Amino acid sequence: MNITRRDFLVGSAGLAAGVSVAAPFLLPKYHFDRRPPRSRVAILHAEQYSQELDRILATGLRLFPINVRGKTVVLKPNLVDYAPGDAINTHRLLVLAAAESFRHMGAKYVIVAEGPGHQRDTQLVFQQTGYEQCLRDERIRFVDLNRDELICIPLRASYMGMKSLWLPRTVLEADFLVSMPKIKTHHWSGVTLSMKNMFGIVPGARYGWPKNILHWKGIQESILDICATVPVHFVIADGIVAMEGNGPLNGTPRELGKIVLADDLVAADSTCARLMGFHPERVSHIREGSRFLGNASPAFIDQIGETVNAPATPFQVVPEFQYLRAV
Amino acid sequence: MTTDRIVLSSLLADLILRQLPSGGWAALASSSQPALEPTSFAALALGSFPGGALERVQEFLLHTQNPNGSWPAFAGDESDGAWVTSLVVMALNDVVPAIPARLQGVHWLMSCAGKESNWFWKWKFRTADRHVRFDPDKFGWPWFPDTVSWVVPTAFAVLALNQLPCSCGGLEQVPFRVERGVEMLLDRVCPGGGWNAGNGVVYGVRVAPHPDDTAIALLALRGHEQEPVVQSSVQYLERVAPTLSAPWSLAWATLALAAYGRSIDSIYSSLAASPYLASVDDTSTLALVCLALDYERALSAFGVTS
Repeated sequence: MNITRRDFLVGSAGLAAGVSVAAPFLLPKYHFDRRPPRSRVAILHAEQYSQELDRILATGLRLFPINVRGKTVVLKPNLVDYAPGDAINTHRLLVLAAAESFRHMGAKYVIVAEGPGHQRDTQLVFQQTGYEQCLRDERIRFVDLNRDELICIPLRASYMGMKSLWLPRTVLEADFLVSMPKIKTHHWSGVTLSMKNMFGIVPGARYGWPKNILHWKGIQESILDICATVPVHFVIADGIVAMEGNGPLNGTPRELGKIVLADDLVAADSTCARLMGFHPERVSHIREGSRFLGNASPAFIDQIGETVNAPATPFQVVPEFQYLRAV
Repeated sequence: MTTDRIVLSSLLADLILRQLPSGGWAALASSSQPALEPTSFAALALGSFPGGALERVQEFLLHTQNPNGSWPAFAGDESDGAWVTSLVVMALNDVVPAIPARLQGVHWLMSCAGKESNWFWKWKFRTADRHVRFDPDKFGWPWFPDTVSWVVPTAFAVLALNQLPCSCGGLEQVPFRVERGVEMLLDRVCPGGGWNAGNGVVYGVRVAPHPDDTAIALLALRGHEQEPVVQSSVQYLERVAPTLSAPWSLAWATLALAAYGRSIDSIYSSLAASPYLASVDDTSTLALVCLALDYERALSAFGVTS
């Protein structure tokens, strides 16, 4: 077959055009690989919210080689809104137990920080959930991330198509950042666990209430970009009473009786998803996060404490996320 | 001098002490990053307070305006904040040298609309994306361009545009936009009354209202008392206000209930005596409490008659 010069040029131009169109979809959207060789996850049993959590959590944390001596530890709970009797927020007693443990471990400062996504009156949520009294009694500082000083940070992944985000100084300057999610289903993202919990660091004062621009850029994409840019050092997930159904606000409380600790947020979320009776690889931010942020496969996770037992009945979800359920 | 006047004087003095050398205010007492929302509320709270604070804040506001007429969320940022643009437009009302800047801000507000105002997104929300109950024909203002309308930025825009003396000189569309904004607020009400960020029903489930969002929407809807949803929302706020102790929500509730001629004696006293006032970290809250304790002047600054 003879190829003329004209054929060659046309073919080359076509190939170049094809590559330029397909490249954004084919090239990875992350620029580093932070996965540890092995991750460690501990599942602790806790039947209820009580003072006993201090002992349970202190025992659990000793299973990890954590050094917070002289460091500033920032605890980021999931504090969204208040409704009586509901399992919307990370329970204050678990946050207090974590603060107490890190103080005992030699932390210089322990700060609790959150930026609720819907409720502009952070102090109202803070009062209604009982956080205010607890933190004041224990002299623990709270920072409203919706109104903290902001620093513009280049994003370390490009799922959203944004180059940078303004993020709170308190989070960016933390020596040891702990994501403390409530284990819940979520009607837009399937689940809300340690990775989705980091959505709360995005400041309302810059992105609105709710942080709507991130919804438009894609929730799963935003989660990945935020978690790529702000390293989370540890996870303490509240699954003592979790939430199923139409979460994160209007679901049904579900007793799970577990606290999940992990040194890798992808490993934490894949374990939590299994505890909910879901296939973690079907949650797109967990699946994509396992390519560069952490380990989702049990083959790379050292499971300590209790074993992962999927529930007889998986958590209920809204119809769009039925495919997550391992049935 | 009555006790509440003493409290007000002390809070105003605290507010002035917090003014940054740039003329703006930061969101938190511990911060030095001037932000437009606390600065606008502080300017409104100071009113005609004697001294140089007001002149400095007006200079700051003029200096931070974006070239397109909008204002950013804070100094050094390049965003177009719809809600802060509305707040600044109100804060600069009656400031003669600021008339051109204010007009530019109004023109920018007129060019900004929730994404659902576009035919494509309207169609999407009507057909494929119906989990949140709302009518996309009734649109208002987003927090930032390229997102959908929400209650608070829409209410602030309605308040700001209602202060214009006329809709002439290229502003002929103002009544149309205000009308759509009012319709949007009425559409987004929570079942049973009150507003939250803007999602009254999601996946067929009622979502609870918030006192501050409700109060802000009610201020924008003054003059629409005949609407049943406005009446039920005033009733919701009357029920919830006595249970509040957080100063931000309590201050907004005081302003809204005063605007609707309801008795505010009890919540006004609670606010003036609130132990939280001894250490308000959030500057917007501090300024808003000042406004609520001087509610008649504050309602006038928001262009609302009681």
